Amino acid sequence: MFKKSLAVAAATLIGMNAIAEDVTITGTVASKCVITTDTVGIYGNPTPSELSTAPADGGVLPIVRYDVLQANFYKARITYPESFSESPALSDVVTWTGDVTVAEVTDAGMSAYDNSKVEFNNVTEVDLTIAGSTWFQVESTADYGVTKAFPAGTYRAIVSADCIAL
Amino acid sequence: MGLRRCWAALALLACSSYCYSEEVFGTTQNAASTGLNWVMTEVLPQQAGLTVNSVIYRYTSVKQTEDDMLVHVQNQNAEAPGFIFRETDDWSGLPGNTINKAIPVANIPIQLWGDGSIEVEGKGEVTNASVLYSFQFDPCFDPQSNPSCPGYVDPFEMLMSEISVKDPLDDDLLQAELRRKSNLDAQEEDEEERQRRRMKSDDKGDDDRLEAIMGIVNTSLLATEAAAKHAELAALNSIPQTYFAVIPDTKYEETVVLKDGRLPENKRARRVGFAQQLLHEKMVSSQYEK
Repeated sequence: MFKKSLAVAAATLIGMNAIAEDVTITGTVASKCVITTDTVGIYGNPTPSELSTAPADGGVLPIVRYDVLQANFYKARITYPESFSESPALSDVVTWTGDVTVAEVTDAGMSAYDNSKVEFNNVTEVDLTIAGSTWFQVESTADYGVTKAFPAGTYRAIVSADCIAL
Repeated sequence: MGLRRCWAALALLACSSYCYSEEVFGTTQNAASTGLNWVMTEVLPQQAGLTVNSVIYRYTSVKQTEDDMLVHVQNQNAEAPGFIFRETDDWSGLPGNTINKAIPVANIPIQLWGDGSIEVEGKGEVTNASVLYSFQFDPCFDPQSNPSCPGYVDPFEMLMSEISVKDPLDDDLLQAELRRKSNLDAQEEDEEERQRRRMKSDDKGDDDRLEAIMGIVNTSLLATEAAAKHAELAALNSIPQTYFAVIPDTKYEETVVLKDGRLPENKRARRVGFAQQLLHEKMVSSQYEK
């Protein structure tokens, strides 16, 4: 009788091993931070040696919008250009300056980003502490040589906008 | 066959839902284009069944960072004290900036939206304000607005159905009273008829008897009166004697006999008659001659 019970138990164990299976869990994470180009920038040419996005200089400020669905999870990193991505051959040095400011907000509290932003080199970082949309405008100026005229041609530069998880 | 019917039903369903149930969505013009106060009846289209589903506003606050400033974008409640919509932006201790907001509201009916305004509380200024209302409505909310709407009723038919002619004689109590009176009248008429018949039969017998009595009396009275009158006239001698003469009772036989039993025509009379006819016609014609 004992032998028979052992035999049944062994058969059960063998059977359990035979039907074991791995189960997969799949998940998709959509970013809660979306970056959209609101306005494409245009360089104005107020003097032969200067290119500027400032409206006063005949330019158009590029504007980028950050949509954050969850507060305190992301920071915006915006880099104004320090080189042309496309230009005629340049024989002299180009001096780059720029600035990133908050242009529009969906919450009054976002206007404080201008005070809390961290700037180093050509990079501006802002902790996105309020859910909603924030429009950042980028000012970029390029001065060629020492009051030297830019060669004729098309000039392009790139503003880099990133959303970095905290 | 069944499949074809099914397709037809589906097509009809799709058509009806497209034709009649289509909501119209829209956005108003900038309500704050002329100032920080506006009248909603001039902003929202006056469409029955219209509801507002969101308010989108944008303005630039101009202020010193250290100043306190509250900005209220609001609409009064048209049917009660207070506001039907109010959004407040607190700029206190913050630099001024441009704010761009879209505030969803729970399909608030048009009749609740009172006049709107942007109110500044504290130190600061609002510039470049823009307030838009996103709305939706069913064009067939009032089926009478369009003959193509389901449930549309021709106004004339509707008017006719609304005019109900009430005959006062239809009243139950009045009808019962009329029936009762009618029965009473019938009973009275029957009774009168019976009485009339009874009286008629009675009167006839009385009349006959009375007539007979009156006849006897009259005859005797007349005879007496005539005798008295005759005696009086005779006494006066005014009646001629011939009155008293007795005419012999003689029979006068017919003595004239028509010999041949034939009555000849009178030709002369005929001629005269013809001449008279001619003269008559001449006279008649003469009155038409000019």
